[in-house]
Amino acid sequence: MSPAPPREPAVVRRAPGRPRRRENLPGYLFLSPWLLGLAAITAIPMLLSLYLSFTDYDVLTPFTEANWVGWDNYQRMFTADPSFWHSVRVTVTFALIAVPLKLAAALGVALLLNRVFRGVGIFRGLFYLPSLLGGSVAVAIVWVSMFNRGGAVNSLLAVFGIEGAPWVSDPKYALQTLMLLAIWQFGAPMVIFLAGLKQVPVELYEAASVDGAGKWRQFKHITLPMLSPVIFFNLVLETIHGFQGFTSAFVLSNGTGGPVDSTLMYTLNLYINGFVQLDMGYASAMAWVFLVAIGLITVVLFRTGRFWVHYSDSEGG
Amino acid sequence: MTGHISRRKLLAAAVAVPVLMGTAAACGDDEGGDDGNVELSVFWWGAEARAALTEKALALYTSKHPTVTFKKTWQANQGYFDKLATLTAGGNPPDLFQIDDNYIAEYASRNVTLDLTPYKDDGRLDVSKFPESLWKYGEVDGKLAGLAFGENTQGLVFNKSLLDKFQLPAPTTGMTWEQHIAWAVTVSKTAKVPGTMDPSGSYQAFWVWLRQQGKDLYNGKELGFTAQDVTAWFELWKGARDKGATPPADVIHEGNVTDISKQLVVTGKAATSWVWANQMPELKKNTKDELGVVAFPGDPSAQWARASMYFSVFRGSKHKDTAVDVANFLANDPEAGKILGTDRGLPSNLDVRKVVADSVTDPAMKQSIAVEAELVPKFGPAPAVPLPGHSKVKTELVKAAEEAQYGRQTPAQAAEAYVTAAKSAIGQG
Repeated sequence: MSPAPPREPAVVRRAPGRPRRRENLPGYLFLSPWLLGLAAITAIPMLLSLYLSFTDYDVLTPFTEANWVGWDNYQRMFTADPSFWHSVRVTVTFALIAVPLKLAAALGVALLLNRVFRGVGIFRGLFYLPSLLGGSVAVAIVWVSMFNRGGAVNSLLAVFGIEGAPWVSDPKYALQTLMLLAIWQFGAPMVIFLAGLKQVPVELYEAASVDGAGKWRQFKHITLPMLSPVIFFNLVLETIHGFQGFTSAFVLSNGTGGPVDSTLMYTLNLYINGFVQLDMGYASAMAWVFLVAIGLITVVLFRTGRFWVHYSDSEGG
Repeated sequence: MTGHISRRKLLAAAVAVPVLMGTAAACGDDEGGDDGNVELSVFWWGAEARAALTEKALALYTSKHPTVTFKKTWQANQGYFDKLATLTAGGNPPDLFQIDDNYIAEYASRNVTLDLTPYKDDGRLDVSKFPESLWKYGEVDGKLAGLAFGENTQGLVFNKSLLDKFQLPAPTTGMTWEQHIAWAVTVSKTAKVPGTMDPSGSYQAFWVWLRQQGKDLYNGKELGFTAQDVTAWFELWKGARDKGATPPADVIHEGNVTDISKQLVVTGKAATSWVWANQMPELKKNTKDELGVVAFPGDPSAQWARASMYFSVFRGSKHKDTAVDVANFLANDPEAGKILGTDRGLPSNLDVRKVVADSVTDPAMKQSIAVEAELVPKFGPAPAVPLPGHSKVKTELVKAAEEAQYGRQTPAQAAEAYVTAAKSAIGQG
């Protein structure tokens, strides 16, 4: 450490807009654990995996001895690996259905809980609870046993005289069961929606009702536009989240993506290639394609957002 | 003022702590060698029963060699090899670890495992009491990559209590496949429990059946079967499903993916399961019903004495000699043998096997020993050790079989897809 001359911290004078370097040093030092972490845990492994994606790294041989194979892994992925395209299809299906439904559920419940009534805090807590349990393995295990052939869900259906199905072990239903689990965990976007709803000025509703607008028109013309930045935020976040779904698929299928690949999410396929087949070079290439794809999807979302996201002007206030 | 000082102190501490911790960790690594004490890391998969037995056997070793202690790690089969691979990638695999046919060729061909041949040659690793075919199972490309730890064979396990209750006959060794299926149909009708798990996705059943057709799973570096063979195999079981001999597809799927403790014969969802004979005690522990075990259908000479698993030593281990000595002790010491019983298969050392057979009290272990003793004279020659890619050949078979079971593909389509996938798994052009 440089032996900085003692200085009175209380009377800090600085040239406006041009902080002195010496003053920044402690700041960076305080940041250093995080910077080190960023480098060691995120940046270096990422760059390494980019390198590995051009090799035949097989986990067991030291990566310094892995052979450079150029674009082979990428080429194989797009031209010679049906399981790659299959997992893309499964993942896109999952995200396209689960994400909008999850957001709809979150918004719906947020609207209900936005009213003032006795015990609303408890309800908010209860509805948020599933998200706290979130991606945990335990929830997925409970889910599997509930939706099994002889599980609670089928017993409940039987009470109403409906014959259930093997929800987790039939390829027709397994992915839907996973979607349901994802939708059920709508707590996080719901809380964000609630916060957004609180921001909508009450005067707008008052003015609208004076003008004779009903509940639906108020929702459509006040709530939705005012909430659109929050909807957009949730949409981006949940889309990324949806594409990354791994834990529940892993648990439900015992790590196989089965029955017959019906739950072979992209990340699960990547995992199997890397850690089960020991084809880590290929898995790294898959990870990079994934990163680029999610980046592109996010860009597209931002582009379309221009047309429907309404930001209240910054001067208004 | 004080705030100023404490802030600097804090900074210093923030820098110092990780440095100090790093030093401490570095010291910890070297400690072992200096005073002659060795801590050997041992890693295996299995359930609690195996853990208890193994820990007891290792404790026995420590009592004889007080300078050697063990860092024991064990876990369920699922995820075991992921973890082993990760440890290896980190340059820190266990000194001594359990491995099986799925991965031994992969690890050996990448030089992770120590070649045990010199130890075998100078007697530090004694395989003189092993059946020759058994220890040779651990050879990959001329190197002894693992010490065969236990011998077993395919076993068809049936629920004896259930059959007795409905006065149904038990299956017998030597039944044909058609007879087995016909028997299963009767069981389904009478006992209202599906007679047999559908083993079309079970590679050990498929393998035995192939050998009975004069084929094999592998032939040199290639597949030993064609799409026609797979089609015939899938057709056989499609017929069985259509006749009601098996549970529905989703229950078969459960049987395919769950571990040994939830096999259908244990959960009561089928009257028979297709397993390895040494797994009897683990099955028995999970059910109140009495279980029996016979050979797979067809000519039993298609079955063979297989190394159920191996112990391998990490090539880069600092304590290679000790690790080999421990493996040698576990395999050849009669006392250790008595502790371990038949949990990993029949003991490889024939003398130990006899001691165990005479002293064993666990009825399920007794049964494993009895059925293998009955089958040993009927065994045919063992096939070669599976090729690298074997684990994928297995999982692809499950996938193809399930495509046919769910009726999403015809047996011929599923067979065609399977052969393509299996060829690519073993790198056959």
